[in-house]
Amino acid sequence: MAASMRLLLRRVIRYSHRDINVTAAGAAGRSGCCWGPSTCRCSSDDAGDRSTHFGFETVPETEKAKKVYKVFENVAQKYDTMNDAMSLGVHRLWKDVLLHVMHPQPGAQLLDVAGGTGDISFRFLEYVRSQQERQKRRAARSMQTPSWGDISSNYSSSEDEVSPQESRAVVCDINKEMLRVGKQKADSMGVTAGLSWVAGDAEELPFDDDRFDIYTIAFGIRNVTHIDQALQEALRVLKPGGRFMCLEFSKVTNPVLSRLYDAYSFNMIPVLGEVIAGDWKSYQYLVESIRKFPDQEEFKHMIEDAGFYCVKYYNLTGGVVALHSGFKL
Amino acid sequence: MSLSVTGLSKSEKTLSRTIVTQPFQKETYNAVQLNMAALLRGLRAGRALRGLVRVVTAPTATNLQSGGLRRGFHRATLRLQDESKSDKHPSSSSPTYHEHYQAHHAEPDLAEGPQDDLTSDPAAEEASRPNTSYQDQGGEQGEEYETEEQLQARVLTAALEFVPLHGWSMEAIAAAAETLGLSSASTGMFYNGAGDLVLHFIAQCNSQLTEILVEQHNQVQLGQAEPKKTADFLRDAVETRLRMHIPYMESWPQAMSILLLPHNIPDSLKHLSTLVDDMWYYAGDRSTDMNWYTKRAALTGIYNTTELVMLQDSSPDFQDTWNFLDNRIQDVVNMAAAAKQAQATGETVVQGLMGAAVTLKNLTGLNQRR
Repeated sequence: MAASMRLLLRRVIRYSHRDINVTAAGAAGRSGCCWGPSTCRCSSDDAGDRSTHFGFETVPETEKAKKVYKVFENVAQKYDTMNDAMSLGVHRLWKDVLLHVMHPQPGAQLLDVAGGTGDISFRFLEYVRSQQERQKRRAARSMQTPSWGDISSNYSSSEDEVSPQESRAVVCDINKEMLRVGKQKADSMGVTAGLSWVAGDAEELPFDDDRFDIYTIAFGIRNVTHIDQALQEALRVLKPGGRFMCLEFSKVTNPVLSRLYDAYSFNMIPVLGEVIAGDWKSYQYLVESIRKFPDQEEFKHMIEDAGFYCVKYYNLTGGVVALHSGFKL
Repeated sequence: MSLSVTGLSKSEKTLSRTIVTQPFQKETYNAVQLNMAALLRGLRAGRALRGLVRVVTAPTATNLQSGGLRRGFHRATLRLQDESKSDKHPSSSSPTYHEHYQAHHAEPDLAEGPQDDLTSDPAAEEASRPNTSYQDQGGEQGEEYETEEQLQARVLTAALEFVPLHGWSMEAIAAAAETLGLSSASTGMFYNGAGDLVLHFIAQCNSQLTEILVEQHNQVQLGQAEPKKTADFLRDAVETRLRMHIPYMESWPQAMSILLLPHNIPDSLKHLSTLVDDMWYYAGDRSTDMNWYTKRAALTGIYNTTELVMLQDSSPDFQDTWNFLDNRIQDVVNMAAAAKQAQATGETVVQGLMGAAVTLKNLTGLNQRR
């Protein structure tokens, strides 16, 4: 059965090689959440000769941005469904772990790059709100027997009771199609306060310096053409003490699991992509781009080189996904 | 010259330099080498002591700043040193120049030691961090010359002010980070959360107590104060240490419960054991037998029970607690005296019995030799 699958695969690839310029490569990831369309439009002037990887293909750097854009434009509608199908719902747990490790304090400002459909931002807002409610409840409980001093100070500072700054999440994505889908999701969920949607390039963020407390990029940095530039931009827009967090597919440490993972990735995922979303090549790109991404230690060194301190990574699901975290100190 | 000159202190270097730069002649060459070797061996013995002194006096802000500068120089000189290693010449000044900086590099490392005791953070990042701080931000001033541990220690010390308001929690750390100009997200650095804060506070209290005890010890050595009796000394030491908890008394039960969490127990036990050890050491205990364990166990029991009594104490200035402490110490002293007496009595009794047995044997004639 695997052999016939491979034949099918080869036939499809040969068929699609006829017109390579067509938007190729779906980026279906197992967990789907890997759409990080923040590819760079960073085409620098003399980058024409330099080439980079696009899945297992080699393309000129200027081309990669456009190709990835097309990929995500195609898959935007079915993005969330494919995520669930390919990762069997585990991507939700990965994102929950990201939020738990982040442990945002009330009043924090989040920048969610390659946020696409806004999964991280929704979770962030929910987390902060539940924390604020817990704090209010705790304050109310401790105020049940107020002393005269407390009562008098309450009168004077009644305006400052609410946290001086509400937490806000900004979703930034290079792909307008993904942002549109995200906005629709937000409207249907009824989440409107504290959320904004911005179209921007991860290598050239349209924000001022020292603006955000937390910068996250979930399953997006692998699609960026110049990862170090994206890291530099992250350092720039973060406040001093701000945290950089990156959720991304990585190298599986266990060899047995690695074989299973490879078999699943290359055989099942493009097929699922074809069946559910009608796009084989996008998901082929996805699986290949995971293999081209540097492993945990190398990426940790890249983050440190960009200027972050206390860089640490956590392996989730045996190394399938790695959560890297660094601080701007 | 085959003599290795790495890791020598400043005075040794100057000596070696003055000796080495004299004009070489064949017959005096060996003599000079032997003299230098003997001198350096003698100086090396004193170097260890001086190193210890440097460790104690090093942790000051200015010293750390210059330590950071030296570290910056060190990175540059390391690169130069690699180039000059191939043509190392005993009489040239450049290798000794580099080794001079290399020796001084050891000092900031020593200076970091006591700092690490004060913070309770994973040292794993420390290995990678110094490499990156000076590669990219070569010319920047300010925080880059402060290590991550120092920054974390600063944040935790500032967080202690917010403990009465927020309790021992991440909110206190977040509030402190904001007063220092850092984003509240930097609290993510503290993987143990509130545990980090409590352990930092305990380490700080312990080092304060050690300073006070050293000060008292020095005064006794100088003859400016009378040496106290052991029981009084311990009583005063425990009282001083417990008084440091008074500002945080309302939230202290929360702190104690955090210390009892399974992942915090090894660290809190370590702090407690070093505290008790320090107290006994400065009380003059130099025992090397079973007494070492019994004394520390007794003092640990006294300290813990007094701490618990203090939680419930509502008398003015915790007078009940100090009375309890007095009684417990008196108990231990009495017990020690009683134990000694019992032992002496036992010995005498045994001797008496032996004597009676021998007498009986004589009387019955069993002792005669045939």
